[in-house]
Amino acid sequence: MPFSKTRTRITRTLAAVASVAALALILLPAQAAAGLNIVATTSSLGALAREIGGDEAEVRVLAPPDRDAHYLDARPSFMAALRRADMLLEIGAGLEEGWLPAAQRGANNRAINSGQPGHFRAADKVELRRSITMDGPNMGHVHEEGNPHFNADPLRMAEIGLALAERMSELHPDHAEAFMQRAEAAADRLREHADKLAERVEPDQRIVVYHEDLDYLEEWLPVEIVGYLEPAPGIPPTARHLRSLVDDLEGTEGTVLYAEFQPPRGAEFLERNLGWPTHAVPLDPPADSGLDGYLELMSTWAQALPQR
Amino acid sequence: MPHNTHLLRPALGGLTALALAVPTAATAQQWETRAGDRNWGLDISLILEGIYYNEMSHGIREPAGFDDGHDHGHDHGHGHDHGFDDGFNLGHNELAFEANLGDLFDGFLMLGFDEDHVEVEEAYLTTRALPGGFQVKAGKFLSDIGYINSRHGHDWDFVDRPLVNEYLFGDHGLQETGVQATWLAPTETYTKLGVELLQGDNSFIPYQGSGGSHTTNDGDEIRSSFSSVSGPRLITAFAKFGPDLGPDHAMQFGISGGYARTWQEETEHGSGLEEWDGDAWFAGLDAVYKYSSGSAYGHGDWRLQGEYFYREIDVDYQRREDQTTIAGNAQGSGKARQDGLYIQGVYGFAPRWEAGLRSEALGLTNRGLPTNEGSERNFAEPSFGTSYRHSAQVTFRPVEPVFLRAQLSQNDFVDEDGDRDRGLEFMLQLNVALGAHGAHRF
Repeated sequence: MPFSKTRTRITRTLAAVASVAALALILLPAQAAAGLNIVATTSSLGALAREIGGDEAEVRVLAPPDRDAHYLDARPSFMAALRRADMLLEIGAGLEEGWLPAAQRGANNRAINSGQPGHFRAADKVELRRSITMDGPNMGHVHEEGNPHFNADPLRMAEIGLALAERMSELHPDHAEAFMQRAEAAADRLREHADKLAERVEPDQRIVVYHEDLDYLEEWLPVEIVGYLEPAPGIPPTARHLRSLVDDLEGTEGTVLYAEFQPPRGAEFLERNLGWPTHAVPLDPPADSGLDGYLELMSTWAQALPQR
Repeated sequence: MPHNTHLLRPALGGLTALALAVPTAATAQQWETRAGDRNWGLDISLILEGIYYNEMSHGIREPAGFDDGHDHGHDHGHGHDHGFDDGFNLGHNELAFEANLGDLFDGFLMLGFDEDHVEVEEAYLTTRALPGGFQVKAGKFLSDIGYINSRHGHDWDFVDRPLVNEYLFGDHGLQETGVQATWLAPTETYTKLGVELLQGDNSFIPYQGSGGSHTTNDGDEIRSSFSSVSGPRLITAFAKFGPDLGPDHAMQFGISGGYARTWQEETEHGSGLEEWDGDAWFAGLDAVYKYSSGSAYGHGDWRLQGEYFYREIDVDYQRREDQTTIAGNAQGSGKARQDGLYIQGVYGFAPRWEAGLRSEALGLTNRGLPTNEGSERNFAEPSFGTSYRHSAQVTFRPVEPVFLRAQLSQNDFVDEDGDRDRGLEFMLQLNVALGAHGAHRF
């Protein structure tokens, strides 16, 4: 094989690679505005970040609020967003474990690595309820740290907001005062709104939920979870399980709540056999919400229950 | 070929130095582990697979043109047959270990095993702390060319590897030891560029080196004519693009290619030694589209995926009877030009159930390696027909980490004489992931 041919090939390959790289550099967008570029996995966290960040933060939410945040793909667009992020907010406790680690690794951005100040994990900031996955048989969906669906608890969200403001202040000390003030105001509004809504709900409500994703309603509303439509977390309702639920709950009053993306069949079965009203509710506010979107979501949850 | 070594060596050295030096420099400033943050321990996962295989009707075993372009009459030990026995088989099992060194490096080790063999499939470090959107991976890993090449069987939509990947890159895909550097552009559209410097020693890039010898039935010793070429002998490059299409749709396009500066293969015969010595390159396109319906358990979701690869092997060929005598006219230079493609779609037709179709063609262009023909042993550059395969699968996922898949494949292969025949295979696959199974890539 002649040397010259090989050399030409290598030179050509290298030239091609170099020109692609040069082209990409030319196509780079201008640097974003001076604020914090924040990427939040869920829109509940996004709403907090928007409220606290105000004009000093640009917030992008990855998980569409009408999807199950357990099961997403580590999409190229997620990695592109994380590549430019100053901060990543995640729920943690296993909620995003099926896709976020891959997206983080693929983002080539140290700022949002686990352990860096730019990585904020909400589950580290509040005490978690026990997850029913910790007690049941291991079906591949175990949240060892506890139940990660604490976005359904405005009181915990208030705490998370305060911790988030602290972290944002570390990254952007110039705006520390504004961040802390907004977080405190947000915490007050969350707590007040929770109290107001709780007072309007009839006392001692019993609810059946689909997954353990609305368990935290017990923390601020006068409700008790009396059953799950899923026989085990991550397993769709079976006829046998639904019949046993009906047997247990026969003759009692209550409400069935499930998420909009969950199949309605189990809830409908309970409605037919127990006469319980059923409501499909969102689990997170719309993707572009601020705090108002989250407050509205709280109202939606509370008003799905019988009112005084 | 010392000239090329001069080019590649410093590049490899530079990348390694960059990988090691930069995070260390950055560490002093700001490495701190926050209490309560994700633990840094070792994650272990085990993937177990069982396959029931039934060859319902027997067709042609190997598609023509991909067994070094001629009939060896004996097995080289790297046959392409995926090797299922009729009946029950322990499939491809994997034991994976993953750990991090702070946020500086991720380490990954995957052992693949079946009844008889344990093999290090991947063992590499990935940097996590380089600035500017760069990342370096070093060790043994699956190349990021194309789409399916870097994915393990557990993530595939069909039981078996696509023909184009199997016959152009080998039973494990392009799996090599070396260094990879990637750069992710800070753009709205996902744009990742990568280069890999790889050792270049596998069934696609065979390497012999100097010093080999062969003794004929007549007792003549024939010394190999190959020269030694130090690694890395293979360089690949890839680019991937993924526009943001909102919550329902996601897409990724890729373009990739590689150049092997050495391609050395030999076949020993009782009456002599055949040698091919040259270089090779390949290039391909890949695309994947995913639709997410928003329903639970994948109901209504779509996944479409396709890849095309083309390769050229440019070699000097000779067949010798003894050290100095060429057999007949079995000598000359030629190019093998071959390609293949597949396209597949999978649809979630019910919660936890999906069904898929795959169509494949191998050797749309199918000019084999130079060889000799006839009793005169005349130099020849053979051409072959195109082989096809069509597969259908149904998959059931009773719980998240378990799937049961039934697949029916009809192969329509052409042999070296241009005859075609159809074979039908049935496969039933049970695959279970235990332990901390890592996040899935797109």
